Amino acid sequence: MAGNGMEQDEFYLRYYVGHKGKFGHEFLEFEFRPDGKLRYANNSNYKNDTMIRKEVFVTPAVLRECRRIIAESEIMKEDDNNWPEPDRVGRQELEIVMGNEHISFTTSKIGSLVDVQSSKDPEGLRIFYYLVQV
Amino acid sequence: MAASAADVEVVDFEPDDDDLMDEDGAADVDATPAAPSHPKLRSTITGGDLSAGPKKTKGRGFREEATTVAAERNNRFASRDFESLDSDGGPGPQRSIEGWIVLVTGVHEEAQEDDVHNAFREFGQVKNLHLNLDRRTGFVKGYALIEYETFEEALDAIKALNGTELLTQTIYVDWAFSNGPYKRRNARRR
Repeated sequence: MAGNGMEQDEFYLRYYVGHKGKFGHEFLEFEFRPDGKLRYANNSNYKNDTMIRKEVFVTPAVLRECRRIIAESEIMKEDDNNWPEPDRVGRQELEIVMGNEHISFTTSKIGSLVDVQSSKDPEGLRIFYYLVQV
Repeated sequence: MAASAADVEVVDFEPDDDDLMDEDGAADVDATPAAPSHPKLRSTITGGDLSAGPKKTKGRGFREEATTVAAERNNRFASRDFESLDSDGGPGPQRSIEGWIVLVTGVHEEAQEDDVHNAFREFGQVKNLHLNLDRRTGFVKGYALIEYETFEEALDAIKALNGTELLTQTIYVDWAFSNGPYKRRNARRR
């Protein structure tokens, strides 16, 4: 396929959501690596559950679509400065490398749009809120 | 700058991905004191990107690099025992658990499942169809995932429908999963 080399560098995506509580460190995390490796981890100690870890390689077509979704969301233009900080209820992380930009945003869990509206940066946080639900 | 340490990782990134995971662990120990302002994650994550010059960074995640949060983050993916389906590591599509998954992009935002299903059923029974919606707009996000039982059905659909029109938009149809990294595949097979 033409253009692989150009398309595939400069893209990395990682999302984490989790908290620490009664059932240990419960979290879900996935990442797309530049070479197409997709890794997924899901941990809970609920009923002595053990960590689920999966990995697979995705095609350039999948990475291109991820990249399109990120670009169209315009999340790279945002900043987490005025987003709620991670707290005891939970934490989200979004790390993306695209082009010559590298973002690593953190915030609390967002229960609903009410949390978005009442934050100090509703416009920016709304983009994050909808992006991570894709 | 941690450029020299990073360069070593960049080199190792290509020949063997398994080595990368070893590097992750080593870098946790080595890189942090040497370059506290330079997140070690970047060297492993972006692979060859560092040679392309510095990136504009933004976000609180970068300011946590010396903390336990960052250490935990680096450890979560440091483990080697990620499950994966058997693969020969070569080029070509990878089978999923129950079938062969095809990715459709360029799907019209007002497309219905029926529209997609009708186009793809011609090549075999569609065992699963995901047409995800944009949670904000309620419209189709732009892609669909379709599962066929056999390799041949999926391949036929890709060959016949890639680059064709569905509801006035050109759709692109390709495999979703592959057997290995596609980066420098030719170099790896020397």
